Amino acid sequence: MNANILLMLVIIPLVAAILILAIRRLSEIIALLATGSMLIIAIALFRQNLTYSLSLPWAGFGIEFIFRLYHFSAFILLAITAFAFLIVLYSCSFMHGKNYVNQFYSYLLISAAMANGAVLADNFVLLLFFWEGLLVTLFGLIAIGGKEAFRTATKMFIIVGVSDLCLMIGIGLVWYLTGTLTISKITVPLNTLGCTAFILLMIGAISKGGSMPFHSWIPDAAVDAPLPFMAFLPASLEKLLGIYLLARITLDMFKLTTGSWLSILLMTIGAITILLAVMMALIQKDYKKLLSYHAISQVGYMILGIGTCLPIGIIGGLFHMINNALYKSCLFLTAGSVEKQTGTTDLNKLGGLWSKMPVTAVCFLITAASISGVPPFNGFFSKEMIYDAAMERHPIFYIAALLGSFLTAASFLKLGHAAFFGKRNQENENTKEASLPMLIPMVIIAAICVLFGLYHRSAVGTFLTPILTEQFVEHDASVLLVTLTAIVLILAVIHHIIGTEIHGGGVKAADHIHHAPVLGGIYDKAEKRLFDPYEIGLKIVNVISKILSFMDKAVDWIYNSMTVNSAYAASDTIKNLNTGNYSLYIIWSLAGGVIVLIMMLKGFGS
Amino acid sequence: MLSLFLLLPLLGIIALNLPYKGKKDTVALLYVLLLSVGQAIVVLFHPANFWHMPDFWGRFFHLALYADNLTLVLILSIGIVMSAAVLVAWQTISESKSRLNFINLALVALIGMNGTVLLTDIFSLYVFLEVTAISSFILIAFQRDLNALEGAFKYIVLSALATIMMLSAIAALLLFSGDTSFASVSQAVKNNCCNPIIIFAITLFVCGLFIKGGLVPFHGWLPAAYSAAPAAVSVLLAGIVTKVAGIYVLIRLVRDVFGPVGAINDILMIVGIISIIIGALAALKQDDFKKILAYSSISQVGYIILGLGCGSPLGIAGAIFHLFNHSIFKSLLFVNSAAVEKQTGSTDINKMGGLGAKMPFSNASCLIATFSTAGIPPAAGFWSKLMIIIALWQNGYHAYAAVAILVSVITLAYLLAIQRKVFFGILPDELKNIKEAGIWIVLPAATLAIIIIGVGVFFPFLFNSFLVPVSNFFK
Repeated sequence: MNANILLMLVIIPLVAAILILAIRRLSEIIALLATGSMLIIAIALFRQNLTYSLSLPWAGFGIEFIFRLYHFSAFILLAITAFAFLIVLYSCSFMHGKNYVNQFYSYLLISAAMANGAVLADNFVLLLFFWEGLLVTLFGLIAIGGKEAFRTATKMFIIVGVSDLCLMIGIGLVWYLTGTLTISKITVPLNTLGCTAFILLMIGAISKGGSMPFHSWIPDAAVDAPLPFMAFLPASLEKLLGIYLLARITLDMFKLTTGSWLSILLMTIGAITILLAVMMALIQKDYKKLLSYHAISQVGYMILGIGTCLPIGIIGGLFHMINNALYKSCLFLTAGSVEKQTGTTDLNKLGGLWSKMPVTAVCFLITAASISGVPPFNGFFSKEMIYDAAMERHPIFYIAALLGSFLTAASFLKLGHAAFFGKRNQENENTKEASLPMLIPMVIIAAICVLFGLYHRSAVGTFLTPILTEQFVEHDASVLLVTLTAIVLILAVIHHIIGTEIHGGGVKAADHIHHAPVLGGIYDKAEKRLFDPYEIGLKIVNVISKILSFMDKAVDWIYNSMTVNSAYAASDTIKNLNTGNYSLYIIWSLAGGVIVLIMMLKGFGS
Repeated sequence: MLSLFLLLPLLGIIALNLPYKGKKDTVALLYVLLLSVGQAIVVLFHPANFWHMPDFWGRFFHLALYADNLTLVLILSIGIVMSAAVLVAWQTISESKSRLNFINLALVALIGMNGTVLLTDIFSLYVFLEVTAISSFILIAFQRDLNALEGAFKYIVLSALATIMMLSAIAALLLFSGDTSFASVSQAVKNNCCNPIIIFAITLFVCGLFIKGGLVPFHGWLPAAYSAAPAAVSVLLAGIVTKVAGIYVLIRLVRDVFGPVGAINDILMIVGIISIIIGALAALKQDDFKKILAYSSISQVGYIILGLGCGSPLGIAGAIFHLFNHSIFKSLLFVNSAAVEKQTGSTDINKMGGLGAKMPFSNASCLIATFSTAGIPPAAGFWSKLMIIIALWQNGYHAYAAVAILVSVITLAYLLAIQRKVFFGILPDELKNIKEAGIWIVLPAATLAIIIIGVGVFFPFLFNSFLVPVSNFFK
């Protein structure tokens, strides 16, 4: 195959996006065709398993248009195109009849194009080009949701924009340090500047992944933005891109080792993200919002896994990345089904949907089991690998991850209980199962979750092991850790049962944690967004802008009042001096002459 | 060949005043237009050395005429401004005899100015300066109303002072040189450079030229003379007469004859910057169209002197280019004021408004001239100011450069005040029936506006073919 085929992965969705904007009525068909053909190309490329390189002349000064396809990027491409296809299929039903539907498909396809380009780019400036392009469509996808959504979109734009600025500065530093922008040729020494560059690039990568403290737009977007957007971007595509870049910089460019303090920094970020986000998830009373906090929490596992710098941790992190993309997008899709069929995602109003929506419920059960780490689903295996690596580095990271697992399981028990079991709400008596185009993607993804779980060895062997340069032999998870996991899961179930008994109802199963003595206060503040870095930033910016505005007024006064008035005063004075008096004019001239003479004589004297 | 620049106008004066009857004024107009446009065009197409071939008529006059690129720039400006002024006069003066008188005096001024720029002898130079001055006195008082007489009288009084100064200076220099030609005076200054009498003489001469050029604090006569003069005379006076009589002679003497002696550059820069500031500030609060332009003239002449004073080839080239630009945009502004004055009967800008819709040509050309004066691209004035400011910066005069830029803002302020109060805004009821000025005002206005834009747009071409030779001449 010609290397030009790589360009098609960017060109096809872009052309389709423009066509969709032009021909509104055919938007579903065009989007399906475009994503379908992308998927076929991606499968073909992955099966060939070759390294392609495409170089075109571009801006010069080391800024070249280079695409490079190798095993890792082919794998990510496959995942992106598959998700794009499935989400478009799902949207055919979900988005039907909405008035912004052609904009939605168009932005979605451009996002896919940008993501493909970013994955393929082998030049940092080119990567940045696609990366920022994604930011624009992200903004558009959130903003089409309405007025509230526009505010969320702005929030997202500022948060991601700031972290992208860090990425940009990091790229500049890397250029300064190595003199090249070609990603595959870069090796950066880990001195002071190198560490700074790493941290800046890492901020760009993990904020794309949605890690703390760059997460706060995701729960807002879950409420405001169209649901397929959540399933496509924050749940799958952005995780893929962010973790892809994180893996590239940690593994290829900076060659982090276990001894480095940067590794500990990464693991700490991962552990904190897991815990804080899952704590927030536990108390949510909304299907989508609960899921969105899990979308943040799960990134923590990946960062923790990659941050261990051990082969098993890295493989675990990457495996968790693809697993998470699968079950998280499927969970969002079930949320979409529930929303479409019942008209709400408020857990207090849902319940007993099990018999009304059996397929959705089964898909939910499978994926919820996966995310909670129940064997034999895929999430269990990737989490075990990460536990293994974390345990090897330090037990505290392991404990944090395990605690996260406990809370994840608890929150999904609560969610499942509240939505699909328990007492049925009167309004939901006539609810029906979702339509076929919505069920197919959910079933496919749930089936992959099961397959990845049952055949996890061959999945890891096919997709992930070739990424590592060093030899990696998978070994069985240690019995102790598996036992501990099982105990934790059982504890979660017991906790749920007791919670239900005490508070009466699945939704309130975790209320004792919500209203615990110290935690209650913290939770209240967190719900009021007192801990949201964006809100804190806004307050600081407000103060600064008030000071600046005052200074601006002062400067304005200098320009608009003081300068003008003094100029007018001077003008008046001069006008009054020119009285038309002859003798005065003659005296001026003679006095001027005398002064000139004195200056001339002085000039000669020296 | 050069003597023709003096002889043809002289021949015209004689022919026009012969006692015969007929349409003398039309013939006179055509003749003076032919001469002035002709001299502008001829100069454009022939380089300096073309003019040095001896001609038949030159044998009868033992005048030491010489032309270099600087001279040619001035002859070009004289031709352009003179033709504009004569056309404006034709439109604004209706009486046949007055027209003829005007043209006679204009021809005298033409001889005076051409002679001033061509001569290489300080005494003859002085004589032709006086020829120009005397025709100007009469032209200012042309309509014999009280204001005009007062303006003319102020000019005469201060010109007399200048005359005394220059004549004494020439006498003092003659003591050392024994001859009044540029070459021997230059030699004498060089040989006796520390002699107090020489210093005194140079000081006197320079001060006399400051009066002629209307620089602060020697400017007392200028606003009254410019604003009281008839419209066409203002064009001539502001556009070219004071520039030739004051600024050209200053450039020529300081660069070629006296050389950069002692503190002369510092004095030029100080006088220049004071003129820039005072002129601009004074213009800010005037409400008479022509008075604003008069003070603006002082300010713009300050830029020329500043460029001259900084002493580098770029600065001098900028000064000469600004001299040319100034003669174009200032005469254009005075042509616009003539149009407004002719149509509304007033020059008080507070009484006008909304004329832009009725007088589109005047409006547009006034705006172009404003841009050129304030130094906004792509008008020609931008480039000359830029050259002057860059030259100042290169020579370390950062504060001067900063002031020069800041005053540009004030320049824009007072010129836009004209634009706003005269051409924009609401048309007062008593001006409802106003029309565009006649063709003989619109034609020169349009031509001058085209020159401003053309020179501005084709500046890179002009810079290489036209200004680089001028500045090289001084190296």
